[in-house]
Amino acid sequence: MNSRIIAFVTIVGVQALAGALANRIAAPTWAAQRAREPALELPAGVAAGQGATLAMLGGFRGLAADAAWLELQAAWETRDLAATDTLVRLVPAIDPRPVYFWLNGARIVANDLPAWRIEAEGGYAAVPAARHEEIEREQARLALAQLDRALAFHPHNAELRIERANIELVRLGDTAAAAEDYRRAAEQPGAPYYAARLHAEMLRRLGRRAEALAWLVQIHPALPRDEPAAEAELVLARIRALERELGVPAERSYRPAR
Amino acid sequence: MSGVPFSPRRVGLIAQNTLRDAARQKLFHFFLLLALALVVGARWLRDFNFGAPELKFLADCGFGAMALFGAALMITATAQLFCGESESRTVETVLAKPVWRAEFVLGKFLGAIAVAAIFCVTLTVALAAVLWWREGELARDYPEAFAAGRQVSYANLWLAGWLHWLRLVVLGGLVLLVASYARTQLFAVAMGFLVWAICQFQALAHDAYARSSSAAARAVGAGIAVLFPNFQLFTLADGLAAADAPPVLAVVRVTAYALLYAAAGAALAIFSFRRREL
Repeated sequence: MNSRIIAFVTIVGVQALAGALANRIAAPTWAAQRAREPALELPAGVAAGQGATLAMLGGFRGLAADAAWLELQAAWETRDLAATDTLVRLVPAIDPRPVYFWLNGARIVANDLPAWRIEAEGGYAAVPAARHEEIEREQARLALAQLDRALAFHPHNAELRIERANIELVRLGDTAAAAEDYRRAAEQPGAPYYAARLHAEMLRRLGRRAEALAWLVQIHPALPRDEPAAEAELVLARIRALERELGVPAERSYRPAR
Repeated sequence: MSGVPFSPRRVGLIAQNTLRDAARQKLFHFFLLLALALVVGARWLRDFNFGAPELKFLADCGFGAMALFGAALMITATAQLFCGESESRTVETVLAKPVWRAEFVLGKFLGAIAVAAIFCVTLTVALAAVLWWREGELARDYPEAFAAGRQVSYANLWLAGWLHWLRLVVLGGLVLLVASYARTQLFAVAMGFLVWAICQFQALAHDAYARSSSAAARAVGAGIAVLFPNFQLFTLADGLAAADAPPVLAVVRVTAYALLYAAAGAALAIFSFRRREL
């Protein structure tokens, strides 16, 4: 056999042998590392995209995402619908770690893009109300899809859940879905206190006052009295109001621990 | 070489000489200054940071500079230091003396990884200084956020520096292997960048092929996974907080992984260079 072929086969063989051994050594570490990088645990297409971004940009992906966000701001200022729409998706695809990009991107999709689309179709006066509603619903659904992608990366983020609920409530008028998302937000670690209050308020609006009362009674004991944002007194006042509305007898009314 | 036994001292002398050569090269200074400028200048780039916490942003810039410019330095320096000797025919002068070809290759490799070590230590010190200074400023401005003490784990930072250096060592071994049969420096540099790109994407390619329904594609994936190291493994310690520190065993495993690949690269470079007609 030609000596060059022998050399080539030897090199490939030895390298493959060393590689196989090295891979066995590092396999548990790589498995643990993959588990720590949520982007690589997503469905195949998304994971491949994130893997490529990681491989190409490495430590610079934050910087690249920041530059794309600046570009997005410029497009937003000039109301460039196509560029804004594209960049809103691109920025978190480059760096999905900051919640800021997901949150503000979803807000732009849900609140700004509908107005721009209506203007592009002739303005609010020219476009029929049914079409307004159709556009607003389309954009709201796109924003919710964006937030769902964000939740795949940040499953325990309360802000994303709250934003989801806000869009469902304000843009889609879906109080039941908003109630559910406020509840899920309230259950996340470090969630703002108002998420729990909003869940109760949604239940009240839906006419599910007994559930609202039960929820408030459940959360009230855990509210710190010295924390203004917790609004323990306000929650107690709402409990009393609901008890009155539901006709709860005095002996069965909620008694907060002193 | 026959007649004289293999000498680690001669390997050391060649390595020293290689390091001296590298330190005189403008390319080394260029990459080092560029990377340093980016690490130190990240302090001003932070004004354009929207998403990530500021200290994480600074660290990301530092690690990015270490990975990118370090790879560029390692590829060009290894190719230049090795192929330069062949192109200028000085290798013939060296090998005419009682010097083994293995000593020559190993000396070149050790010299190149010493260059990488200087690069990584300099950048890690610069990054640690930038983070320490900025963390101090933030602690003064927002004492409540730093009530539990400093947030950056500097031990983790040094660990990240170590892992970045290991990645360059592996890359150096592979570039040396290419350079051992390359006829020109340009070819070695071009192939070096190609190898670096494959190693960066190795995990991705392996996953993509592994999911394929074709047995041939899966075999290609398995081949890539054993022939090329996975460079994503070396980002193990890129987190900043002490809680993000990888377990000691994981670091030991990655170190063994790197040394195995580097040793294979260097051994195969010796094998290839010994067969080469000068």
